[in-house]
Amino acid sequence: MLRPEAGTTADPLLALANYRSELGAWCDASPETLALATSPTPDYDDRVDHLRRFMGELYDAGWSRYGWPTGVGGLGGTIIHRATMWEVLATRGVPGMALFEHLEVLAPTLVHHGPTDFIAQVLPDFLSGRKVWSQGFSEPGSGSDLASVRTTATTVDDGYTVTGHKIWTSWSKYASWCLVLARTGSADSRHRGLTALVVDLESPGVDVRPITQANGTDELAEVFFDEVYVPSRRMLAGPGDGWRVAMHILSHERGTLAWFKHLFFYHHLHGCTDFADTRHDSALGNAFLDLTAVTAAAHKGLIAHADGDPLGPHAAFTKLLLCESEQATNDWILAVDPDLAGGIQTDEVALRRQEYLFSRIVTVYGGSQQMQLDTIAKQILQLP
Amino acid sequence: MSAADSTYHEILEVATKASERSDGATPLTELGWADILAGLGDPDAFAAAFAIARAQGRALTHSTALGSLAAQPYLEATDLNPGRVVAAIARESRLASRVDVLIGDSIGCLVLVDRPGEGAILVDTDALTLLPIDLPGRLVAHQVSFDGDSCLTEISEDRAAAARVRSVALTRIAAASEMLGAAETVLAMAVQYATDREQFGRPIGTFQAVRHLLAWAETDVVALDAVVRQAIRLGDTAPERFDAVLKALAGRNGRQICERALQTFGGIGFTAEHDHHHFHSRVLFLDGLAGSSAVLTHELGTWLRTTGVDPAYPAAVLAGPD
Repeated sequence: MLRPEAGTTADPLLALANYRSELGAWCDASPETLALATSPTPDYDDRVDHLRRFMGELYDAGWSRYGWPTGVGGLGGTIIHRATMWEVLATRGVPGMALFEHLEVLAPTLVHHGPTDFIAQVLPDFLSGRKVWSQGFSEPGSGSDLASVRTTATTVDDGYTVTGHKIWTSWSKYASWCLVLARTGSADSRHRGLTALVVDLESPGVDVRPITQANGTDELAEVFFDEVYVPSRRMLAGPGDGWRVAMHILSHERGTLAWFKHLFFYHHLHGCTDFADTRHDSALGNAFLDLTAVTAAAHKGLIAHADGDPLGPHAAFTKLLLCESEQATNDWILAVDPDLAGGIQTDEVALRRQEYLFSRIVTVYGGSQQMQLDTIAKQILQLP
Repeated sequence: MSAADSTYHEILEVATKASERSDGATPLTELGWADILAGLGDPDAFAAAFAIARAQGRALTHSTALGSLAAQPYLEATDLNPGRVVAAIARESRLASRVDVLIGDSIGCLVLVDRPGEGAILVDTDALTLLPIDLPGRLVAHQVSFDGDSCLTEISEDRAAAARVRSVALTRIAAASEMLGAAETVLAMAVQYATDREQFGRPIGTFQAVRHLLAWAETDVVALDAVVRQAIRLGDTAPERFDAVLKALAGRNGRQICERALQTFGGIGFTAEHDHHHFHSRVLFLDGLAGSSAVLTHELGTWLRTTGVDPAYPAAVLAGPD
């Protein structure tokens, strides 16, 4: 069995076929933490804990270091290695990425825009689940209109003090770091006066308050910042570059992330076929069509990204197709497992209920459907 | 972009222009159709065939392209010139157990009629009864019946069965491509209309309701294009039933795109004089061939549920052969 070895230039695992088959073999040898990570657990804290432990074991064995540059703790390779990794994990029953979605939303931007020594320090902790990240963008007064954010970063000696209020920050409850979009410019400077700062959530002045979602999970939170000190060396890019950094993140959140997320929907479908019946075959077929569509579109985005040619506004299509497929998948699951609405609960049913309800809000989270449609109308169709 | 991708784009542009300036027939000879058919095993030729089908949909021209593609797999064991043979294509009917359709001007061609379970036959057009299909869409199509003894050649069920799956796959990719061509064109017309037509003192395309309608339709185009391109890129390595998925998606999305375009045109779009109904009728007609969206979608659901097949596609496979 091939094993990852740091620093070897002729690493056979850089060949994708080898990486896939050897990672699969490693999973099939039943690493201790995999069984827990794949068991249906409605308790969200437990789910996070199980996944973090598994990611720790995956990191120690080297697998999750592929797809990241060697200078920051990776073993080389591309986004295709990362896509392959999650695909193998999905086929072995890992139900989703949960807070590790940020490895595809935030980490690429950290690597691209962050100071190398800082990123080399934090990326291994991130990959291994020891210290995870959250994203501080939205505010009570700034949702779709991101350029209106009011959290301020005031210049002090060798850094900034951050004051403000972020909301819908995913996974802040578990996070050590928060990537905050803050205003360094004047109050009316819109997107030109923003800076991206990495805040240590253990700093004095930080108050994280979890928000329980309507489906019972509390993966979101609001975060209050009261003159929280951030040293300059924890800035991504330069002062005033916040919008550019944010757009880089969004190109992942709306473009490449769809590939990673949608793989799990196939397995959710597959997991219900045993007890489904013929009455809902058209709905199942329809969900399959939607999945095929997002696979093709997201794959286009993945390859474009790997070729250094990200999708830009075309990522809006991928985001819309991802949400359509998530909803169609869950529509069928509701049809074949009506207990999720009716109240007879096993752990599996409870989980399906959480996922069904969550699928109703995905068209808002991460850039609403209406914003995506506006982008397409204006920038692609060029309507007046 | 791969070499085959560039070929596809180039041929699509050339074929679209050539078809638009023709007298209604897709100029297959000018586009090198005979060589394409003969060389379908080559990725460039494979891509070219479906680029031409898409151009045919864009221009609403007619030809024997679909039928000659459908016939091609049956001819590998013969020494017949593929350009001369067109296959009839099946569609469901409530009124008859099976309807076979001949598309394009097939006079002078040999017609292949597949009879699942009983092999296939090659017949001269003289020996067939051809009933013109009178529908909008600038279609040239006939319903075919053969009840004679004068078939030129019989192909055994063994050999026909071996060709049948591939024939259906080629037909479905071509029909899906043509539906995409028609749908993306009528949508472009609707976008132009929304830019030009004014109400309440401004172009109707400035209203968010209209903008979002058109953006959804464009999303359906992008989705269908991505899957068509995937099918072309993957060729023989495509996952099981990929042609059925593509065909079902084309029918569903194709019809939805036409409906949203109609909503944008308003009443004028629903006149015989306006071109919309030609595009819509062509899409409906093609949806009905070789497995409608409604039927295939249901069958795919049944297949997934009863076989336990895992339909997930690996990223490396989708990268396709380089």
